[in-house]
Amino acid sequence: MHIPDGILPTSVLVGGYAVTGVATWLSLRKINQQANPQAGVPKAALLTAAFFVASWIHIPVPPTSVHLVLNGLLGVVLGYYAFPAILIGLFLQAIMFQHGGLTTLGVNAAMMGIPALLAYGLFRLGLRLAPADPASPKQRTIIGAAAFVAGAVGLALAAFIAFSLLITTIPATLAVEMERAAVTALTLAHLPLALIEGVFTVFVVAFLLRVKPEMMANGRKR
Amino acid sequence: MDLGLEQFAYLDSPIHRWEARTRLVGLLALIFAFSFVQQMALLPMMGLVTAVLFLLSRLPITFWFNRLRYPGIFLLAVAVLLPFFSGQTVLWQLGPLALRQEGLLEFLLIFVKFVCILTISLVLFGAAPFLTTIKAMRALRLPPILADMLLLTYRYIFELGHDLRTMERAMRLRGFAAGRLSARGARALAAVAGTLLVRSYEQSERVYQAMVLRGYGQTVARPADGFMTTGRDWAALTAVLLVALGFVLAEAMLG
Repeated sequence: MHIPDGILPTSVLVGGYAVTGVATWLSLRKINQQANPQAGVPKAALLTAAFFVASWIHIPVPPTSVHLVLNGLLGVVLGYYAFPAILIGLFLQAIMFQHGGLTTLGVNAAMMGIPALLAYGLFRLGLRLAPADPASPKQRTIIGAAAFVAGAVGLALAAFIAFSLLITTIPATLAVEMERAAVTALTLAHLPLALIEGVFTVFVVAFLLRVKPEMMANGRKR
Repeated sequence: MDLGLEQFAYLDSPIHRWEARTRLVGLLALIFAFSFVQQMALLPMMGLVTAVLFLLSRLPITFWFNRLRYPGIFLLAVAVLLPFFSGQTVLWQLGPLALRQEGLLEFLLIFVKFVCILTISLVLFGAAPFLTTIKAMRALRLPPILADMLLLTYRYIFELGHDLRTMERAMRLRGFAAGRLSARGARALAAVAGTLLVRSYEQSERVYQAMVLRGYGQTVARPADGFMTTGRDWAALTAVLLVALGFVLAEAMLG
């Protein structure tokens, strides 16, 4: 899910950087409003590294295997640090592994980061709707559903943005209806991946709630 | 484990000697000028500029090839349909498959731009220790929170990558079959991902305390970043910026 250098026209690249610039600025502003913004930096940085590494885990989908994107989960865990985390992760991926690219960094960060922030919002909404009593089975169901939606929407939206950009800007002379059909088909083809990503997010959130509940505290009602 | 980016960071070449801030600005400007190009006529010049810079950097050609191979395959997968669907002039036909001239040219344009931009970014980031690059970005007013996060993330990727390999080996030794899709297998992999997250979270608290003990978070007068620009650095920057401007102007005139 990285758009490489050389494909997109300059206007889209500039637009991507503009969106990423605004989203980063807003995120940093939210972070700087915290009591001690620097205290969160090592936490966010090490979690960014952990997400970077976790995306090397391959899930078997016979006959092949897919690696996870985890941008929904990243939003759920990191909150407002999610956007800078994705920006940094993609930058490192571009220069360490030549995945994605420097000119497309803005586009790629916006494409993965905005769904991550949306996933964070959806998950927080789920937490607010869930009853506070941790023993209640209803709480587990609602949090689980929220985690699934966050993970699945994170990936599906990123896939939709990627295909829309690629298909409408590649200079092929395709008719509008055909472009729309192609975007729809490619996004639908990614629905199984979105399901896997959603289920995986549920499992990881359940694991974290069991093992290290304070990590998920940042969206919990007091 | 891929430590390769800094493998050749300590060679001695005109690019390695070029001061980090001016190099960052100059080569990034060139990369964006390349991405602006849409005219086929400019491609040979673009290849020439790229080749000159790469040769000047004295990075080995195997380094270049190894790093472009996989992203190159990915790009081919994305763009390979173009020659078959775009354009009217059919060059070659086999049943319903028609190779079209316009699509082929567009494909060539994308591919050359991709190779040139990637080569310049290899020259930019492969010819200096990554720490120097981050310092240069910070000196160029990258927000401190981003610079700190970038540095720490880079530092811990290798360590956590090692943790992941260890955990995967431990799972295999205990009989975990990685090739089958099952809810139980997925749950085990989720526990691996979760463990990575928990470990990094716990470690970050120790890292933070160690950093605070060493004075992190204290406002100090802007520390000297130790960069010294000479006339030669400015000359190199001017030359590269002029080349970048040349591409933009040529594109505007031809377009």
